[in-house]
Amino acid sequence: MPDSQRRVHNRLAVLRAERGLSRRQLADKLGINYQTIGYIERGDYNPSLELALTIADLFRLPIEAIFSLKPMAPLSEEIFRDPPATAR
Amino acid sequence: MNTTLASGIEYLPQSRRRLLVAVAMAGYPVAVAVLAGLKHTSLNRWLILALFLLLLLPAVATLAIGYRYARGRIDGRRARLDERDLALRQQAYALSHRVLTIILIAATAITEIYLTSGNTLQLDANTFWPAAVWVIVYLPALPSLMLAWIETDQPTDA
Repeated sequence: MPDSQRRVHNRLAVLRAERGLSRRQLADKLGINYQTIGYIERGDYNPSLELALTIADLFRLPIEAIFSLKPMAPLSEEIFRDPPATAR
Repeated sequence: MNTTLASGIEYLPQSRRRLLVAVAMAGYPVAVAVLAGLKHTSLNRWLILALFLLLLLPAVATLAIGYRYARGRIDGRRARLDERDLALRQQAYALSHRVLTIILIAATAITEIYLTSGNTLQLDANTFWPAAVWVIVYLPALPSLMLAWIETDQPTDA
């Protein structure tokens, strides 16, 4: 990644592990090379908007749940941070 | 090519790749300079040729490694290049252009200084062929070498 490029943080590795997908399996589903998954996970490559949206679509999650410009908190921490309001 | 060797080249760390690129870039000019220097000595011609070929060997080997490392990503032989491959190829071509520009400016400046110092430059086979071979070999190889230079270490398989 060029030095001038801002790093995009992501949860790709966690989501992939959670769904039991190898890099190759995920890459095949996305139609990209498996090394690219590794580079994205490591933060060495920022995916295009098209690829980021395809990844979000594949995991059925909003894009901001996977990619962020700020370092991402652990998923478990985020889930339990704001408990949903109980219906009256 | 042997699969283990091919895989070894693919996973070469960036620092080692950069060293190999430096050897590939410097190998041929060094060999030609040594050959030019030895031509005017009383050394046996076969010994000079053997020494020249010996000096050339690392350059040829590292050029081959650089070409293999690119794995068809520069010349488009790989059937499917994804967006990272395409971005990397663009960066490699841009860096090749910068390196080539620097080399041409440096070569022109050195020639200019040499000529304005009262020397003459005779254009014959001895001066033309080394330059021609450099152009024929390095111009096509430069993007592959630059790709090997810029790509960060491959992520380990998981």
